Amino acid sequence: MGTKNFLYSVYLCFFITISFKVIRCERLREQIYSSIEGGAACFRRLNGTHQAGCSSSLNGEVGVVQMVYNISDAQWLVHNSTAGPYMAVVSTALYYDVIELLLQEPANIAGILLYDNATMSPEFFSQESKCPNEYSSDPHLSQCVKPGGIVWNEKGTGLLRRDIPYPIFFLPKTRIDDVSKIEDCYNRYNLDRDNQKGRPLCSLQLNSFMYAAVNSVVCMRRSASSVFLSSNKVCDPLGDYNVYYSLFPRAKETEATKKPVTLVTARIDSASLFDGIAPGAASSVVGMVAHIVTAATLSKMIPVTDSKLYDQNVLWTLFNGEAFDYIGSQRIAYDLSRGAWPPVAPLSPSDIRLHVELGQLGGSLSLFKSSASWPLYAFAPYSSTNATASKILEFLGEMSTYSSLNNITVSPKFTSNIPPSSLHSFRRILRNVTDSGSLLEILLVDHEENFSNLYYESALDDYEHIGYVYHNISISNEGVFISTDELLANGTMKETEAQVKIANLATTLAHTLYQQIAGKPYTGTVKASAHLVDEMLYCFLRSQACRLLLAADYASSPDEPPAERPLPLYVGVAAWASPPAVYAGHLLALLTGGHLRGNKSDCDNRADTGFSYYWLRGWNHSGVCIETTMNFSQAVSPAFIKSDYDLTSGEFSTWTESVWQAIWARVFVRASGAGARLAAVAGVLATAAAAVVTFWLQRDAALVFVDAPPSVAGIIRTVNC
Amino acid sequence: MDLNRLPNDKKLQLCKWYFKVGCLLLPFVWAVNSVWFFKEAFVKPQFEEQKQIKKYVILSGVGTLVWATALTTWAVAFQLQRVAWGATGDALSFIVPLGRA
Repeated sequence: MGTKNFLYSVYLCFFITISFKVIRCERLREQIYSSIEGGAACFRRLNGTHQAGCSSSLNGEVGVVQMVYNISDAQWLVHNSTAGPYMAVVSTALYYDVIELLLQEPANIAGILLYDNATMSPEFFSQESKCPNEYSSDPHLSQCVKPGGIVWNEKGTGLLRRDIPYPIFFLPKTRIDDVSKIEDCYNRYNLDRDNQKGRPLCSLQLNSFMYAAVNSVVCMRRSASSVFLSSNKVCDPLGDYNVYYSLFPRAKETEATKKPVTLVTARIDSASLFDGIAPGAASSVVGMVAHIVTAATLSKMIPVTDSKLYDQNVLWTLFNGEAFDYIGSQRIAYDLSRGAWPPVAPLSPSDIRLHVELGQLGGSLSLFKSSASWPLYAFAPYSSTNATASKILEFLGEMSTYSSLNNITVSPKFTSNIPPSSLHSFRRILRNVTDSGSLLEILLVDHEENFSNLYYESALDDYEHIGYVYHNISISNEGVFISTDELLANGTMKETEAQVKIANLATTLAHTLYQQIAGKPYTGTVKASAHLVDEMLYCFLRSQACRLLLAADYASSPDEPPAERPLPLYVGVAAWASPPAVYAGHLLALLTGGHLRGNKSDCDNRADTGFSYYWLRGWNHSGVCIETTMNFSQAVSPAFIKSDYDLTSGEFSTWTESVWQAIWARVFVRASGAGARLAAVAGVLATAAAAVVTFWLQRDAALVFVDAPPSVAGIIRTVNC
Repeated sequence: MDLNRLPNDKKLQLCKWYFKVGCLLLPFVWAVNSVWFFKEAFVKPQFEEQKQIKKYVILSGVGTLVWATALTTWAVAFQLQRVAWGATGDALSFIVPLGRA
């Protein structure tokens, strides 16, 4: 028995040791690598002729950490460092000063980790090019690229359109702990710059391997499965949905009853170099919010039931994918040119009398944060052959009357240099109507020459830079918003605040549009509410778990609220509708549509009356049937729907996004290499020794083995095949 | 199989058979034939069927060389020119490399 017990305890010890060793192995791995969570990677996009963005190698790039605190650190890294390649860890404040240096001499650089530091915010930060969408602009209306022309995005570094030779990761303000972790590791191992070679060094590994390469032509070809082989998808076209809504229903219109429309547009999307980050506050959100609030205000001024009293209509449209060569507006202009938009009751280009675009707004809000005024500029295309149409002068005249009542100045700019906007798409694709002056165009922006938004289409284009502070005022169960006048009177808001200024712009535009379609000045009291603007800005800039979006969501959606972070406004790939377009559409429906009584099945079974019906949650979350003319149309570039289109022709947007499998980053201490060298030398020596011993044994077999057989060949010979 | 244990007429039959099979676009069979029967054709003392075996070994050897040259040329040309051939290059590829041209 004693022996048995002893054996059992030996076994037990053995298994405990083994299992302990397994656990230790896992821990060892964790001890070596520390993963960096919450980083956003730069990824690859392609157009008809080029690839842009970043990719790592298949297993990720490894580089020695080098904190870049000033320009001389970057210079040392590029010219004098010895233990390369290096990972440059750069703050957004220093980005502008060092990025060109790091890009021009990439030999010693394995990648860049860019972090946003709350204490040192840069004064400007934009990865968009200096002339955004220059290749899709109408050459007659764009002087940005010409010498002496106005450079719209003066601070743009153009990284969004360049092929970057290594991965770049971005850590937002909230992940500053990870930066401290890297910095601690750097301070422990890497500080002695002159003696880095051959020593253990703190290193970073960034993995963002991209499947697609070369250009959209190549990657689309490789993504298409052939007859013989099913292929891997390597890229997808960019695209999403445009949103449109008409003041009066158009579906039942006939040729005889067709009303001319005023097209009022804005854009939904923004962009940034990094995956999942596209706040777009001044790039798109302020314009989009002003657009939706104006539509809501006008629908209160002119009830849809009064449709018969007016012989004009207003068509509100939100474009998507504008950051990438105007995908949304190109598609709509193209569909208009072939009589296919809107899908129900298509318009012909001549039915549109005026196109008003709410362009880039919000960039100057922080400049004028101490003043109640907000100077806006109305750009209208002008050429010597085509004198400015009286309709534009009339519109601007009316607008200036209303704007002066609302603390806004609108200065007209008749010019042949129009800022980046959907006007360029319409000019290029519908040239016969825009040139002849039958389709007139106005662009409202808050910059005169260079962009007032210094964070154009970047990760830092957020609520702070437009000076937005949320007031968190509750909304009544009937969805009534407190009027701007009341908020100002009771001191809740000040005239200098962004919400009030945007509401004033919406009021101005709604009243102007009223006069345009009614033919008489507006004498009523309906105005846009700064309360509504406050809530809507909160939804798009701070958190999607907000009152408006909860009310505007499908009633059938799960009860769990969406994440408390802003939506990225990047257009994404065309495979599915992204939340921003859906939310914008539902907000338009909720704020402008009729709220009908009844339950869900009544709502679903409504007859076709020229409206669409949506069963949304509603203000009191019990479900409401919305009767609306809002609808979605595809925002996929014509390049991907025309069967014989040459992707290299440059006529339409050809942007695609690469597929990737995994994006991760980790920090670890890389061994000096002495251990690896020792192992290699020991291996070589062991092999040589084995060879010598084998040779000696072979030669002196008779001495070593007493009864060694004379030859082994005989055994094989006996086997007969 | 041990050729030494085979009678000479069987050797010739085998060598001929291998040559014929190689004619069905199977250069490796020719390669095997030329190596396997090399000793019989050129090293062994003369025997009656040796002349014919020699003929098949030479034919197989030349065929192998031609095939090898052609395949090597193709492989080298394909590796060097696949990117330049564009769509044709991709169509000819069984596995298209990810993340590069």
